[in-house]
Amino acid sequence: MGKESSDKSDSVSSRKLVLPGDLLETKSKPGHGIFRRDGRVHASVLGYSSDQSGYMNVNAITGRSYTPKVGDKIVAICVETAPSVWRMDIGASFNSTLHHSESGWKVPFGDTARFLAIGDAIWAEVFMVDAAGSHQISLKKDDCRKLYSGTIVKIGPTNVPRVIGKQGSMITAIREKTQTRILIGQNGHIWIDGKGNDIATAQKAIEMIDNEANSKGLTKKIEKLLEK
Amino acid sequence: MAGQTDMELIKDGVRLDGRKADELREVKIVAGVLDNANGSCYLEWGNNKVYAGVFGPMECHPRHKQKADRAIVQARYTMAPFSVNDRKRPGYDRRSSEISYIVSQAFEKVVMVEEFPKASIRVDMQVVEAHAGTRCAALTAASVALADAGIPMRDMIPSCASGKVNDVVVLDLNKEEDNYGQADLPLAIIPSTGEVVLLQLDGHLTPDEFEQALDLATSGCMDLYKKMRLALENRYGGSA
Repeated sequence: MGKESSDKSDSVSSRKLVLPGDLLETKSKPGHGIFRRDGRVHASVLGYSSDQSGYMNVNAITGRSYTPKVGDKIVAICVETAPSVWRMDIGASFNSTLHHSESGWKVPFGDTARFLAIGDAIWAEVFMVDAAGSHQISLKKDDCRKLYSGTIVKIGPTNVPRVIGKQGSMITAIREKTQTRILIGQNGHIWIDGKGNDIATAQKAIEMIDNEANSKGLTKKIEKLLEK
Repeated sequence: MAGQTDMELIKDGVRLDGRKADELREVKIVAGVLDNANGSCYLEWGNNKVYAGVFGPMECHPRHKQKADRAIVQARYTMAPFSVNDRKRPGYDRRSSEISYIVSQAFEKVVMVEEFPKASIRVDMQVVEAHAGTRCAALTAASVALADAGIPMRDMIPSCASGKVNDVVVLDLNKEEDNYGQADLPLAIIPSTGEVVLLQLDGHLTPDEFEQALDLATSGCMDLYKKMRLALENRYGGSA
């Protein structure tokens, strides 16, 4: 989960809400969530603008669809098996492909379902995204593996930084208070494992963060929920 | 249009509903009302009531409609059977397919379709109550819903009609003015550049009147744009 410390989208105190088309006054290089027209930078999504380390970005705060980025750790669910590949739901507009050569298993041709059946979940990494929008994921990186037991909660990918919190404060609190194991995919799929009641509490907390991601005093609300 | 009436649609510069020639009806916009849509909007405009929901980007079906290098916008405009006085036969008809088509065309100009090859962005608009100007209301609601869905686009597009009633050029026709007026000109623009993405004209206008109507509708769109912004700022808490 190397991503936890790098999420800093809401650490800026002077953040400003911008809407698609808004002109952004900046001398920085264009980053993400923006487009250029007549040499000037405009926001392309609804979100908070941030002018940091030489880049002008707009961090989207809405949207349920995940845009895969190479290197993202994600939770994926198998939706289809083919002789040598699995089709995986990662919450993007298209299903992702997991090729048998990227699985780490020695899969006989046509026997994919024995290793990963429809409905099975994995913790994987996006390793290829091409210009045509198709993407592939891999199981051969770091701690990638198949996920047994537990449950999966789906939230908006834009709310993932809120679930993690500053330096992972929010997710650490949830993990410790509920005694659960949690993996947060950058795609907004979150895997929770532990005792039944604990899973339910963690799930409730995460869903609450998703629903109220843009409100203030969220940390306190979650703390209160976890104390019960 | 073309209907006959004994009603005096404009008297001393005041219209049937008490508005002046350059006034919009009351507009209320709420973003994010549908749980199962990626983005949504409810809009009340005078007596018009419209819901808009955005789904996707998702894989485009049927496959032959896919574009290899970009997404397509599939807008769908429908009127509820109870939305008008005489029950409307439910389902697609010539009018709704026309409106769906022009709305799709308008959105493909602003949505960054090149970011989602082979995908389709579905925009569903449901008119629950119709009182003239529903295509503008639906387009406006859909714009807010698209922004609410986090779909990257160059701008939101407000849409507003102007027309001619009793030889006076007026903004935002109501039901009576639409039925018995002389012209109706729905317009949608990109506010930041002033580009026109939708322009239709029903009825007759002289070139001068046309210019006047176009200016009036443009200013109406800009007014409406402020209200759209306000709706989204309300939902997402404004500057924090």
